[in-house]
Amino acid sequence: MTNTALQQLQKQMINYLTDKDQNQSAITSHIVRQGKIDNQTRLHIYKNAYQTRLKEVIDTDHNILGLYLGDDLFDQMVAGYIQTYPSQNTSLRHYADKLPQFLAQQTPFSEHPILHEIARFERLLLIAFDAPDAERFDHQAINALPPENWPTMTFHFHPSVQLIDLSTNAVESWQALKTERTPEPAVMAPSCWLIWRNHERLTEFRSLSDEEKTLVHMILNGDDFSAICEFLLESHAPETVGGVALNYLANWVDQGLLRRGLDTTQHQGYSPQ
Amino acid sequence: MSDTQLPASLPAFGLGLRTDHFEDVLNNKPKLDFFEVVSENFMVGGGKPKHYLHAIREHYPMMMHGVSLSIGSTDPLNYDYLRQLKVLANELQPLWLSDHLCWTGAHQTNSHDLLPLPYNEETLEHLVERISEVQDFLGRQILLENVSSYVTYKESQMSEWDFLNQLAQRADCHILLDINNIYVSARNHDFAPQDYLNGINPDRVRQFHLAGHTDYGDYVIDTHDHAVADPVWALYRDALNRFGPVSTMIERDDNIPPLQELIDELDIARRIANETFTNPLSGMVNTPLDITGINQ
Repeated sequence: MTNTALQQLQKQMINYLTDKDQNQSAITSHIVRQGKIDNQTRLHIYKNAYQTRLKEVIDTDHNILGLYLGDDLFDQMVAGYIQTYPSQNTSLRHYADKLPQFLAQQTPFSEHPILHEIARFERLLLIAFDAPDAERFDHQAINALPPENWPTMTFHFHPSVQLIDLSTNAVESWQALKTERTPEPAVMAPSCWLIWRNHERLTEFRSLSDEEKTLVHMILNGDDFSAICEFLLESHAPETVGGVALNYLANWVDQGLLRRGLDTTQHQGYSPQ
Repeated sequence: MSDTQLPASLPAFGLGLRTDHFEDVLNNKPKLDFFEVVSENFMVGGGKPKHYLHAIREHYPMMMHGVSLSIGSTDPLNYDYLRQLKVLANELQPLWLSDHLCWTGAHQTNSHDLLPLPYNEETLEHLVERISEVQDFLGRQILLENVSSYVTYKESQMSEWDFLNQLAQRADCHILLDINNIYVSARNHDFAPQDYLNGINPDRVRQFHLAGHTDYGDYVIDTHDHAVADPVWALYRDALNRFGPVSTMIERDDNIPPLQELIDELDIARRIANETFTNPLSGMVNTPLDITGINQ
């Protein structure tokens, strides 16, 4: 058996597992007939394991989406996704990364935008859960800043911080199911959410006002404190702007949203839609 | 970081580290010689998994056990994966680093399963080359574990144990013998499990795995969701007699019980080892051990 022959055998097995070889003849011709179990049963143990494993990953990662869909539609989604996206990742952690895309493109799921938005929200929760650690900015560090440095001060979000713009009541529906309540019917309801891992390593999320959303984008763009204050001047009295800006900063520090470090390294956690 | 030496006169006994037990391990620090971690579970940036991993590593030596090396694949070695593995190994300083005698994917598709290989000279050459490359990159010897299998290929020209033995010798790697996998494959392919044990060179064996399976009558599936079965305990006793006090751990990956239940199950292994190595007739007579009811 040459390496090419081994390559061929492995290709035939993969084709069988991923349903590209419906009649199984190619791989079956390599299998020795043994004992009471026929070769179809032997091979099916592997196919069943492949499909079950991928289904379990989707179920674990998208538990609430599963509740929203109900068993039949969930099974239909899983079967379609596994068929469309054979796993190409070493880690199962990333197997369902393209599920939001699948739901946005495949009928009947694409007819209900809330489905791919729930899936996107759940994927960002996963990213926030195990994103890299970083030392956080604290009140002591803020207080230690020399006053002359404030105008040019820039801030950086913790690597776990994710931002998501939604057009439906996806998060409200997710929350309802999470707390075993019946979700409201899907409606168009534009909103912006921030997701992050807090000081206790728990994943949190909250909605953002238009003003805070703009500030978050400014920080992501590297705008400094004076630019932030300038923007706030558009809707706040000059004598209150400093206080408003510091209030935002204090809340972000309390929530563990900012990482320490005054370098200009680009933030990696931001996930534009 | 906890010492990386293990006792030598009796086997070291450990468990697989599972998320469900993180808090219990840290709060109660059970008397175990080591924990074994599934490498891929900790190839993440940070957060809770890494926090608990490092906190537990402070108190216990660790083994790293991977499932994605795909040493038998005809795809090129995945250096992105190997780099992550090396980083984790540098962090944890594991006693042993292991993976499986199998392939998990090819042609850019991953099965996430431990698929068997045809056992012949060509496969052997393919693996020897790749293991050498991996060991050179990691800067250490690895252990390869026998997998449970459900098919035998017509292209195989030797037994799995002959293959594994020759492989370990030629690639200069070590062997992790999964006692449950030997039992499962023996049932599925109708060979005597003792032949497997007797065919393996004791000098190469560094670890034993024990686990549960599901018996469907005509065949057995390696499910890791039950307690270790009685015939596997009997085979474990045979393995200790042949290979000596080899580090032993129990793997449970599904239906995970409270930690104490697994510690109690590990006590069965301790008792068998104690009987084996304190019995002057060890290796000649197997001391009976009544474990009825303990692992139901």
